[in-house]
Amino acid sequence: MSDSIVWIVLFPLFGAVACSLGGAMSKKICYPVSVLSMLATVWVSVDTLFQAIESPVHEVSYILGGWSLDLFPRGVGIEFRADLLGALIALVVTGVGLIVALYSKVPVQRETPGKEPMYYGLFLLQISGLAGIALTGDAFNLYVLIEVAALTGYGLIALGTNRAAAATFNYIILGTIGASFYLLGVGYLYLKTGTLNMVGIREVIEAHGLFDSPAMQVAFVLVLLGILIKMAFFPFHAWLPNAYCHAPTTTSCLLAPLVTKVMIYVMIRMVLTVFGVEFSFESTWWTEFLPWLVVVAIVCAAVMALAQREIKRMLAYLIVAEVGYMVGGVWIYNYYGLIGSVFHIISDACMTLCLFLGAGIILEKCKTTHFNGLRGLFAKMPLTMIGFFIGGFSIIGLPPTCGFFSKWYLITGGMVSERWEYMITLMFSTIVMVVLFFRLIERIHLAVDESGNNLGKGHGDLGLTKQQTRFDEAPLSMLIPLLLAASVVLLVGVYNQEVVNQIEVFLQPFNLPTGVKYE
Amino acid sequence: MKKAAFILILCIGLLLAWAAKDFPSWGDPQSPASSSPVASHFIANTGVDTEVPNMVTAVLADYRGFDTMFETVVVFIAGLAVFSILRGGPKNRTRDREFVVDFEPDLIVTNTVRLIVPVIQIFALYVLAHGHVSPGGGFQGGVAMGASFILIALSWDLKTALARFPIERCFTVAALGIVIYAGIGLLSLFLGGEFLDYAHLAKIFPVSPEMARYHAMLGVEIGVGFTVTAIMFALYASLSTDGRMRDGL
Repeated sequence: MSDSIVWIVLFPLFGAVACSLGGAMSKKICYPVSVLSMLATVWVSVDTLFQAIESPVHEVSYILGGWSLDLFPRGVGIEFRADLLGALIALVVTGVGLIVALYSKVPVQRETPGKEPMYYGLFLLQISGLAGIALTGDAFNLYVLIEVAALTGYGLIALGTNRAAAATFNYIILGTIGASFYLLGVGYLYLKTGTLNMVGIREVIEAHGLFDSPAMQVAFVLVLLGILIKMAFFPFHAWLPNAYCHAPTTTSCLLAPLVTKVMIYVMIRMVLTVFGVEFSFESTWWTEFLPWLVVVAIVCAAVMALAQREIKRMLAYLIVAEVGYMVGGVWIYNYYGLIGSVFHIISDACMTLCLFLGAGIILEKCKTTHFNGLRGLFAKMPLTMIGFFIGGFSIIGLPPTCGFFSKWYLITGGMVSERWEYMITLMFSTIVMVVLFFRLIERIHLAVDESGNNLGKGHGDLGLTKQQTRFDEAPLSMLIPLLLAASVVLLVGVYNQEVVNQIEVFLQPFNLPTGVKYE
Repeated sequence: MKKAAFILILCIGLLLAWAAKDFPSWGDPQSPASSSPVASHFIANTGVDTEVPNMVTAVLADYRGFDTMFETVVVFIAGLAVFSILRGGPKNRTRDREFVVDFEPDLIVTNTVRLIVPVIQIFALYVLAHGHVSPGGGFQGGVAMGASFILIALSWDLKTALARFPIERCFTVAALGIVIYAGIGLLSLFLGGEFLDYAHLAKIFPVSPEMARYHAMLGVEIGVGFTVTAIMFALYASLSTDGRMRDGL
């Protein structure tokens, strides 16, 4: 199918419309409609990825409206471009969307009864927006799609518990500030280049030598600032923990793995495709100091994660730390760092999905995700906990999970570009993650409470009644997606070379420094 | 904290001022934005490509129609989000709003509105239908149309307005607007073009490809108008009653 790239956006869009039209008649159709449209979306995004792999230039280009690209700079009409990076991210977005759509049956009915048509409408439009961000080749179209993704996100989060409204309000303010910065930056870009097409902008920058132009420099700052706010990079992270904590289960499962990661994709896209390597790294002196900001970000986020006593909140701070990893991987300006960043987007999406699906099941069965309510969970829900901990081990970076391999590339990047501060921070944060997850394991398996008092009678007694430790697994509609996500974490880890090969094909033309000095 | 914010704003202001010295001068025909082949293409070829005299509409609904489709979706999302958050009234409300709306619709006001509303609606349709000739279009026409329903709600009460435009129908109409817009795009996809390539509609309608673009632009504007009208009113109805769809202003 030659136009499968545009169907990636259209299937969820029409699914959303079908949900809101059909949902008025029967609320029961929403779940099957969204699962079906997500299945179709995943199918076309796999198709697009293979088209991109097989094409000689490794990209699929699609002009909406059928306008020609012959002009220089190009930019009449909007282009959808799926190079290998975009196609991979689109597949991650739609894959996560499918798994969460499968998972959503029980939690959506419980948390937003009677609002299923609206909920699924927003849910599918969110995926449409995020997948569009990954595929668009137009800087302004990117802004529109960011707005689609952001607005649906606000709606989806605000449907949560009572405190979700306040959290959403914070998110709206910061999200809007971020989007405005981005829009202002795009305005400057258009002012200086006269086109909005991403490749077109870079062509003009290179043809007219706009490397030292103040307006372009400020455009770069504004775009970068906007994206950093949107991705919850450390000083701008304040909206994230509350928003993801108080959101409905399905929402946090969808947003946590995707939103921040897609924004990091946007940053990589801006750095490589729009501004170009030479502009981003060589003609801006201050980008050299960004890894130091990353160090602060990772350390603070990791320490704050350590201070949490609730799984969902702890995971939210983990996301902030992981954002630091990926931002750092880009700004250490190194081939391996960028491979690590891109690969970490993919693996972080998988493992965060795994963890949030697990946390959602714990919330569903135990009505709390506080550390004190975890005792004996392994006896109660062994499969859920295995899935959850596969995600956790991947965050720590244990082989053969995908988290190990992406972190390996990030650390390699830090070493070859001699950014020791970044490398040491990664090591430090890994130790923090170990503490975080083994503390959870301890809480589940040992009869010890917060202050170290023994609650059981010894010899493996958890101090719980038989009733409390009886086998009581989550409903299959929640368990299967979790195990699916866990197996994806393992599979991406085992077949990491296949993924990295594609990323390398994408990164080759940019001539990034490999930093190897053998002579 | 306030001082820090002030200094931060000052820094950003200085940064923007520093960038401004690099701007092309006001109205400079040689500036990249005016002289770039892209802008020139729009100016030179709008008439040839689409037969639409209004270039702004041609850029909005045809050259960059995909953006506009998602802008319409954004409007739809806003309505959907507000409606679903507020629906069923506030959770855990400790104190229900005490005042009972106890007033008779004013004779002068209602009669004036009775006269004005048809005029507003006709004007809204005119703005919508003439969007590709003169300033106007789906967003503007839709807002005027939605405002006419809000005016009914303001001068009588919300019940009267909801009797004419029930809230469920709002969302059906809004979704329909997106179906119209995306459907026109899809039709051109199925006729062998790219998504939103209206010229291919000439294969099933007895017009030239240029006129097909012209008419398809009107079609998508109508879709936009549907969505904006319905969402304007749905937003008003949801927000003015805390989502309970009764009492209110």
